[in-house]
Amino acid sequence: MKSIIGMSFQGIIRFMILSFVMLFSGTGYTQSIDAGLRIQKTQGMYWENGLSIQYQFANFKPERFLLGFDYITSRLGTAYNSNAIKQDNFLVSGSWLFNKTKAYHIAPRLNVGYFYSDLEFEIFDEVPNTSFLLSPELGIRYHFKELPIKLNLGSGYYILTAKEGYSPGTLQPLYFHFDICYTLLKNKSNE
Amino acid sequence: MNKLYIIMLCLLVPMIHSCSDPDITDDVLDGNVIFDPSLYNPEQYLVSAKYPNPDANDLSKHIILVIHGYSATTFEWEEFKSWSTDSSYRISQVLLDGHGRDYASFKASTWQDWSAAIKREYEKLISQGYTKISIAGSSTGGTLILELLSSGYFNSRLHPKNLFLVDPIVVPSAKTQTIAAIVGPMLVYSESDLKGDENKFWYRFRPVETINELNSLMKLVRKSLEDGISVPTDIYFKVFHSKHDPVASTTSTVLIYKGLDRSEVQLMDSDIHVFTRLSLRTNVTALQRKNQQDAFSQIAAKLK
Repeated sequence: MKSIIGMSFQGIIRFMILSFVMLFSGTGYTQSIDAGLRIQKTQGMYWENGLSIQYQFANFKPERFLLGFDYITSRLGTAYNSNAIKQDNFLVSGSWLFNKTKAYHIAPRLNVGYFYSDLEFEIFDEVPNTSFLLSPELGIRYHFKELPIKLNLGSGYYILTAKEGYSPGTLQPLYFHFDICYTLLKNKSNE
Repeated sequence: MNKLYIIMLCLLVPMIHSCSDPDITDDVLDGNVIFDPSLYNPEQYLVSAKYPNPDANDLSKHIILVIHGYSATTFEWEEFKSWSTDSSYRISQVLLDGHGRDYASFKASTWQDWSAAIKREYEKLISQGYTKISIAGSSTGGTLILELLSSGYFNSRLHPKNLFLVDPIVVPSAKTQTIAAIVGPMLVYSESDLKGDENKFWYRFRPVETINELNSLMKLVRKSLEDGISVPTDIYFKVFHSKHDPVASTTSTVLIYKGLDRSEVQLMDSDIHVFTRLSLRTNVTALQRKNQQDAFSQIAAKLK
């Protein structure tokens, strides 16, 4: 597979898993870890689904700030068993939760990340297929009191500054996503 | 409070400005004076109109329908006609319905209307007895050809000998185009940055209704490509696409290549949309001229 930013696609996946393990191992600093599924639809383009991991840190705004890692791909959406383009989005995000005493939170988020689309054939080597990602987002997050489950509904807009014709065509700006996450770890001593 | 007022004013002024139809003058195609010449003199543009009773010599010719793109007119393929000197083929320049007329006609048209003009000429040529017919489409013209192919239009009719697509649009390069359906009620229309005489051959103002029609057509074709489209074995299919097309993303051709069971693709070293149309462009380079000649030569070579 074509390399991107000097790493193969498998390399990036390994890097993300390693990052997850490193953060996970630092549980002394962790208030909670939620992980789950992310279902995303881009306006006028693909369904792209994947994983979402959200951290809350014990010693930095534990009920307010979330650090997130998301991997979403059309491989698990429109491109599954079809001729659609296989593309991957790697996102790191910071969210701020309002209404901290309530079950639901208004949650603005800022994402940065990387987009890669696999154009598969050598003749398309010069067609733009990667992009830096930056997107502000607004969402609403709900956590069940009796269950270790959180729901998140959000919509964001990729700020794409590349000149027209120099950005991957299947990367479109407006997207909507729904996440359902399970609390893997919760450090009660810090509550 | 003052700051908030200023911000609201800044948001409202352009919104109110864009919430009504544009002010159209008579020096642009959108007005009520300039029309595509094929509407007055169809016999100069359509082979079926020029030769209503073709003889054996006429019927031996290869006919190529040339289809322009969204908001354009027959002018888009005029250079191919001027370039062509080979008497073995004849060119039928189709004007899509809703195009080349006025703003209101364009606004009221659907993509099915656009396609109807292609079908009319194709079926007329078949009924007149032609057996060698090819079609070339630029931009949305290419998308309409793909829709005809995927919908099975050719299954029960004479197959075209060749299908050529130039910078077809299945995915737009403009990132705001996919949100037209959401911002449409506020947008009403978008204004293109046409220069000088280009305003006589393309609509300057694109009603949001037509942008939504184009988006619907692209979505339909994209879905068909995702599922796979079979090209009959007796049809030659070729796509030419600029490497950095600022209107129809080159990813469109990746999708076409993946979605058709057989096709040829050639990427051109170009960053203009519909690279075969150079007339009225400023600062035309030798490379752009070479790309145009290359495509024209390849198309003509298949019309023997």
